Amino acid sequence: MHKEISDFLNRSVSGADAQVISATVGDSAIYVNAKQILKVCEALKNSPEYQMNVLQVITAADYLAAAATETTPAVEERIELTYVIASFIKNSELLIKVKLPRGDKNNLPQIDSICSIWKSANWQEREAFDMMGVKFNGHPDHRRILCPDDWVGHPLRKDYVAMESYNGMTIYPEDKLNFKEREFGVRQKTDVKGAVTSISNYELGAKNIN
Amino acid sequence: MSSQHNHATVSHELSLGQYFDNIKTAVITTFKGMMITLKYVYGVRPVTIEYPEVKEELPEISRSRLYNDAENCISCLQCASACPVDCIYISANRRATDAPALKTKDGTAIKLDLTMYTIDTALCCYCGLCTTVCPTSCLTHTTDYEYASYTVDQMKYDYLAPEVRAWRTRIVKD
Amino acid sequence: MDVNQEKLKTELLTVNMGPQHPATHGVLRVEIKTDSEIVAEAIPHIGYLHRCKEKHSESLDYRGVIPYVDRMDYLAAMNMELGYCLTIEKMLGTEVPKRATYIRMVCAELQRIASHLMFFGTYAIDLGAFSPFLYAFQKREEILRLFEEFSGARLLYNYIWIGGVWNDITDKHIERILKFCDELSEELKKYDTLVSQNRIFIERTANVGLISQTLCYEYGLTGPLLRGSGIKWDLRKNRPYCFYDKMEFEIPVGLGEKGTLGDCYDRYSVRMREMIESIKIIRQCLQGIEAGPVMGKVAKVLKVPAGEIYFRTECPRGELGYHLISDGSKKPYRLKVKSSCFTHVSVLPELAPGQMIADLVATIGSIDIVLGEVDR
Repeated sequence: MHKEISDFLNRSVSGADAQVISATVGDSAIYVNAKQILKVCEALKNSPEYQMNVLQVITAADYLAAAATETTPAVEERIELTYVIASFIKNSELLIKVKLPRGDKNNLPQIDSICSIWKSANWQEREAFDMMGVKFNGHPDHRRILCPDDWVGHPLRKDYVAMESYNGMTIYPEDKLNFKEREFGVRQKTDVKGAVTSISNYELGAKNIN
Repeated sequence: MSSQHNHATVSHELSLGQYFDNIKTAVITTFKGMMITLKYVYGVRPVTIEYPEVKEELPEISRSRLYNDAENCISCLQCASACPVDCIYISANRRATDAPALKTKDGTAIKLDLTMYTIDTALCCYCGLCTTVCPTSCLTHTTDYEYASYTVDQMKYDYLAPEVRAWRTRIVKD
Repeated sequence: MDVNQEKLKTELLTVNMGPQHPATHGVLRVEIKTDSEIVAEAIPHIGYLHRCKEKHSESLDYRGVIPYVDRMDYLAAMNMELGYCLTIEKMLGTEVPKRATYIRMVCAELQRIASHLMFFGTYAIDLGAFSPFLYAFQKREEILRLFEEFSGARLLYNYIWIGGVWNDITDKHIERILKFCDELSEELKKYDTLVSQNRIFIERTANVGLISQTLCYEYGLTGPLLRGSGIKWDLRKNRPYCFYDKMEFEIPVGLGEKGTLGDCYDRYSVRMREMIESIKIIRQCLQGIEAGPVMGKVAKVLKVPAGEIYFRTECPRGELGYHLISDGSKKPYRLKVKSSCFTHVSVLPELAPGQMIADLVATIGSIDIVLGEVDR
């Protein structure tokens, strides 16, 4: 099915560069050129053959550059947007993927908004912007959605570091911190704050067993 | 395009007959409903219990307050690694070679001396992942549910401390 | 709008509904611009319950995500778990024992009933009837008690695990579930007289908050909203998972019986009829259930092969989709949740204009949102 769709896309949208990545586990996907996403979606929605009438979700995933190791291949630095499109008429679904450069704080990656095709894209794109920092050109209401408007950074990026304080509130207050930063399983002698450790009691109990 | 979906509630012009008819059906249907409600006034057993006087016995399997029987703990750290919220703090020292050999109830040799076993109950999400990985089943969920405390610090239970170990008789069923 | 009303039009008044408002079912804030009693514009603001679950799951192992998944839709935790576990199992290729699958389906359907009962109760409260809430909660309590007895928790179960279920159910439980089903069928008739036939209730819900079929597709609405608009679409029938293909049940759709197709009453009645279908499914499951193990063979350290998957299941509130990207390690690389409630709230600005404020309450109630799932 994916092969046919990618052929159809290459035929009907010039410069779509659709190519199928067929997977052995899980779902296969079609990569398209990011510049043509609007036309690709339009073609899929309006084609009488596929009738992809519902946009399910837009997912963004962040990939940091990594060199190849023995077990894993090299990772190219990018942000990948996945458009999950489904047809409720033909009962099918399709994953369309685009690659974007990661950009930085002042130069966020940009892509055309598909709000004009599906209205559900409105909030999905806002979420992708809020969480991953992808800018959608032509979006009618381009704001953050889950985080407050004056939040800095995009939390789901892999290199995200939270602000130290927000509106005068400390984000990671010392006294409420979990012991996450503690090296796990290290044999150390420091006490847990607020708890009373009594080793002697344990020894007492151990003697009782004997 | 979008405006065609907009629709105020449709306002009908009611004739006087319809108006009174509406009132009549409203009264009748509400009365039918009230009859059902009325049945509950007498003859239906109350389903609520008066809490502090009558206490509900939770099912045996219920996951409530955690308890670690430190004598049987072999400090394997599996509970801490399974915990999704990282609320279990363990530290242990290697037992001296000349120390007397210790064994848990099920016969596993204790090779590490537990120096700290603390659970931050305020963080615990009662998912039960820690108790299922415990090889000696010394860490258990008990059915004790009355342990509200005044400060967050009091929610950190050190299972080596005598006052916490004193619960054992009360909450652990052998 | 005629000329006289045009003259009377004044400056719009901004009213904040929520975030602490009983009718918004959680911490949803709707900024309403009103012209007297008529809503001119409604802007939902979400994110008050945002816990960044997706970020959390990137630092947890696959089993550790399940308690977090529970906390999304806390009124239908079993369905959330089921969707997640099926996603991971599909990637792993795990075979789930038959008994476990049946137990899962029973749990999912019981949870659907519990969730719809909750809807029934709170919706009645939204519209000013108090006692149905108590009756619905009494029945829901029985389900929660049952869940507590075999899963150990009342609300956030962590019961459905990757590869099966945590604990087996006994014959005693089966008997009790069957008894509960019989009782509920009787109870539902009572609810029908109490609320569905009530003239005041009908007047409040019929012809209010219409969602047309095109709007459904435009906004990607699913679940009772889609069916309420008369579209016969249920993943349990159309893309069956578990053993739903073996079950005999109907998909209730909106009929427009009291007003227009796709109004609040239709959505309400779809949910009420879905409960009857769920009872049918539970009975069939408990007939087909056979002795056997409840946990399949799963590696102790779970490593999901690299790849991605999008898997959706039918939850009480609509379709729940998990988009998992795995890099072959112990932790998910990215776990995106397509929550139905999130999509459903986005349709609110489309429905609100032209409604009375009281009708807006009825509309929000009828789309039945849980803010834990909206914000995640």
